[in-house]
Amino acid sequence: MRFLGRALAILHKDLQAEWRTKAHLSPMVFFILLMLLVFNFSFDLGGAALYEIGPGTLWSSYVFASLLSLGRSFADERENDALDALLLAPGDRGSIYLGKMLGNFIFLLAVELLSLPFFALFFNLSLSFFLLSLLAVFVLGSACMASVGTLFAALSNNMRLRERLLPLLLLPMILPALISCVEATGLVLANDCCEKLFPHLQVLGVYAIVFTVLSLMLFEYAIEE
Amino acid sequence: MSRDDAIVLESAAKHFGTHIALHPTDLVIPRGEAVLLVGANGAGKSTLLRLMAGLCRPSEGRVRINGRDPQRTPGVRAEIGLLSHQTLLYDELTARENLRFFAQLYGLDNPDKRIAAALTAVDLNERRDQRVGSFSRGMKQRLAIARAILHCPSILLLDEPFTGLDASASATLHRLLQRFRQEGRTYILVAHRLDEADGLVDRLLVIKRGKWCIDQALTNDLDQLRRLCSPYLEADPCAF
Repeated sequence: MRFLGRALAILHKDLQAEWRTKAHLSPMVFFILLMLLVFNFSFDLGGAALYEIGPGTLWSSYVFASLLSLGRSFADERENDALDALLLAPGDRGSIYLGKMLGNFIFLLAVELLSLPFFALFFNLSLSFFLLSLLAVFVLGSACMASVGTLFAALSNNMRLRERLLPLLLLPMILPALISCVEATGLVLANDCCEKLFPHLQVLGVYAIVFTVLSLMLFEYAIEE
Repeated sequence: MSRDDAIVLESAAKHFGTHIALHPTDLVIPRGEAVLLVGANGAGKSTLLRLMAGLCRPSEGRVRINGRDPQRTPGVRAEIGLLSHQTLLYDELTARENLRFFAQLYGLDNPDKRIAAALTAVDLNERRDQRVGSFSRGMKQRLAIARAILHCPSILLLDEPFTGLDASASATLHRLLQRFRQEGRTYILVAHRLDEADGLVDRLLVIKRGKWCIDQALTNDLDQLRRLCSPYLEADPCAF
């Protein structure tokens, strides 16, 4: 119970700070809108091309935008050495990971949901039919990125080349989940949801659970000096 | 090692790559002892405090806090309060929100009562709802002191706690440390200005290039302190 209490305290603190500074959400939203705008002018995404290129466009925007937020999640703690205060607290340090991971998950999901109407607007989509299925893909995709991303953000936090190291570590590791996200989004956009979508959601769910559990076990070592 | 020892280092050493920050060190600090730790910049004082606080693992040897390893027994960290060079606070949050967050991390009962008491102790009650980012250096330091004592630790590690404090705040901290001493709490005080430690410590430890130079019991004689410490307080160019 204490473990969860500490994780929720860290989550609450991060959300409170974000509400006041918008340090995570503003650059992510701006970056995604810019990407979608550029893709909108670069590709003619009418008809079948939308289902082939659209999901890749959307998720590559999300992945690169997530790097902006994940990189900051422990950089914020470096200010005033506040990370030391977290490490000093009694109990399992995995609670720091869980709190940070939940914060990153919420930021990613919020940005995905905020950008979705713009994606629909730019690419002439009507979202009403497949919103629920797409929401499931977003939730699981964000959980996958947050679970691995938070661990690697902690790992790269103590290194000199941290800004360059995070994408190098994260992108290859997130690839299996990313492929499933793109495939699943393509199926949702093509309104071909029922049978083919479920295996992709399963892959994302298993990926998120496995990496969350692994990260909880490894975090203590990742965060050390 | 006795059951009355608050801090025990058994051949504890710390290396950063090829740089030896702390040579294998033995140290026993009994419960209730107030220690002044002195050394030039880069002598290894902060590394020593970080080892004791469980913020890093020793490269060799062992560290025991109240008989337990702070790395392997995370609960023992609740018995430590650390005041570092940095404030360890969040600028975006108010003073009260910062302390409430730390109270939650430590799972403290009656957090509001404790927060009010800690803020009163450092004379920041009237500023409790202002963001820390708007505080002066001295006010941040006072709030950092409140954070370090919020959970009533039995061991306090104070790395230059008088930094940035004005005369009035220094006097408040002095009184606070005297109270800790009377209550039998253990603390290690790092200070460069020896008058700040006058009447607050029982024992002097001087460290140079990661090794002990002096480990001596003290009377409350400022002249004795000055005589012992002055050769070791200048910056050591070989330390970097």
